[in-house]
Amino acid sequence: MKKKSIQKILLGLILPILIVVAWFLATNYGNIPSGILPTITKVKDSFQELVHTGTLQKDLLVSFGRVVKGFLMASLLGGVLGSVMGMFEPVRDLFAPIITVVRQIPIIAWIPLIILWCGIGEVSKVVIIVIAAFFQVLVNTESGISGTPGKYVEVAQLYKLSPWETFSKVYLPHAIPQILVGLKLALSVSWMAVVASEMLAATSGIGYRMSNARSMMRADIVIVCMIIIGIVGIVMDRLIGWLFGLLTPWQKYEKKEK
Amino acid sequence: MTESREIEKNSEKDFIINIEHLNKKFIVDKQPLDVLKNINLQVRKGEFITIVGHSGCGKSTLLKIICGLVGYEDGVVERNGHAVVGPGPKCGMVFQEHRLLPWLKIKDNVGFGLKDLSKEEREVNVKKHLELVGLAGFENSYPAQLSGGMSQRAAIARGLANNPTILLLDEPFGALDALTRIQMQKEILSIQEKENTTMVMVTHDIDEAIYLGDRVVVMSARPGEIKDIITTDPIESKSRGSATFASYKKTIYSYFFEDSQEDYEVEYNI
Ligand SMILES: Nc1ncnc2c1ncn2[C@@H]1O[C@H](COP(=O)(O)OP(=O)(O)OP(=O)(O)O)[C@@H](O)[C@H]1O
Ligand SMILES: [Mg+2]
Repeated sequence: MKKKSIQKILLGLILPILIVVAWFLATNYGNIPSGILPTITKVKDSFQELVHTGTLQKDLLVSFGRVVKGFLMASLLGGVLGSVMGMFEPVRDLFAPIITVVRQIPIIAWIPLIILWCGIGEVSKVVIIVIAAFFQVLVNTESGISGTPGKYVEVAQLYKLSPWETFSKVYLPHAIPQILVGLKLALSVSWMAVVASEMLAATSGIGYRMSNARSMMRADIVIVCMIIIGIVGIVMDRLIGWLFGLLTPWQKYEKKEK
Repeated sequence: MTESREIEKNSEKDFIINIEHLNKKFIVDKQPLDVLKNINLQVRKGEFITIVGHSGCGKSTLLKIICGLVGYEDGVVERNGHAVVGPGPKCGMVFQEHRLLPWLKIKDNVGFGLKDLSKEEREVNVKKHLELVGLAGFENSYPAQLSGGMSQRAAIARGLANNPTILLLDEPFGALDALTRIQMQKEILSIQEKENTTMVMVTHDIDEAIYLGDRVVVMSARPGEIKDIITTDPIESKSRGSATFASYKKTIYSYFFEDSQEDYEVEYNI
């Protein structure tokens, strides 16, 4: 068991190490201008500088705040509508067609319209995140709720549970694993959306920092930001995974049959 | 029409379950599938009815119709003199598969139907019923941690917990070993005597049907019809070695074999 997990970690490390080595070799012995690909040391220095001046923390905080606002709103909206659609077929029939169509529109395509409607201030960024994350939560919640086996719903009927109790004791617990999948996806698209929207129109945030650095040919800052975005993303993903284990204690006993 | 009204009136007093001329079809692949045909069954309060019949003859469907989980279009189905329109609080059911909710601990599964009790009353009740089925100490386990037979016993505890006046049992002992099975049979009989619960139990085990049932309902292969209702002697049927017991057994077997000659699809689940 232990041996296997060590092997897993080692295997996972091979490619990142190769990339770093290639990067090191290319920048130290190759002939690449630092405006295109800076050296590792340069990136490390700019990282320290950004942290030292507090720019990085501030940018991160601004972007993170937007993500949290948009993500929570999208989760609430998507969760509620997804649950109602999952439990009641007529509601599903009412919303499903239009949702399927609207969902196909890439988030980038929304940005011009959102800017026209909401300007380039705070609101438009949050709205973009809400739109991007909403569908992920909605679709997964709906499918988790509507996938609840009828045999369990029948038990709730037998004991005359109210619709709310049926939801909280039967549908919701069954759907939690899939809702969490939706939340994970939603969080990751929230991150993407915030960076994209900040790159197009903003005066703060990590996306803004990147596009600003690009216009100054500071590839080192761009790379610092990219690495930070990746790290924050994986931390949040793990956080939800941990929440998942906490919310579904019965799952660890279930035999992995599928 | 007027005739059946009169029977209805009588049944109000005498019969806790009253089924008359019940037919049930399912639509499968747009084709109607006859499942139950002209079922007539009256059950008095405190009676123990057992039902035997071939696999797929509609036994589970019949129980679900009685408890109101499955609708019916044709015939009369009443509990306590009222037409069945849906589940009622005093009519419990133990399903063929245990149907414990995987996300609830055993204590919450057993207490699932106990809505009006305080926390303490609930706990006492759950504990009592878990002890009854020999699962004391498993309060905080999840269904996935129990064996098949243990799950079935937990489901029986859930069925008993809210003290139903009618309890429908769909092959509740199917996954139990012979010894536990006999133990559970005794347990269920003593509960029935103590609480005067009306029980309707489907079983594949003919011995069990004779041992437990005041009356044994024998059903034909699909579409399920009642072939015979055998009233068993209350004393003789409790001794599995008696000649009367053997004669009941012979009668029931003969119905099964009669069926198998007509119907080559029959499964032997005896
Ligand atoms: N919801 C349903 N929709 C369509 N057909 C059904 C449905 N439920 C049961 N049936 C059909 O009705 C018939 C009777 O089913 P039922 O479950 O009542 O049989 P049973 O007597 O309990 O069998 P077993 O002893 O194997 O449990 C079967 O042919 C089954 O395919
Ligand atoms: Mg059945």
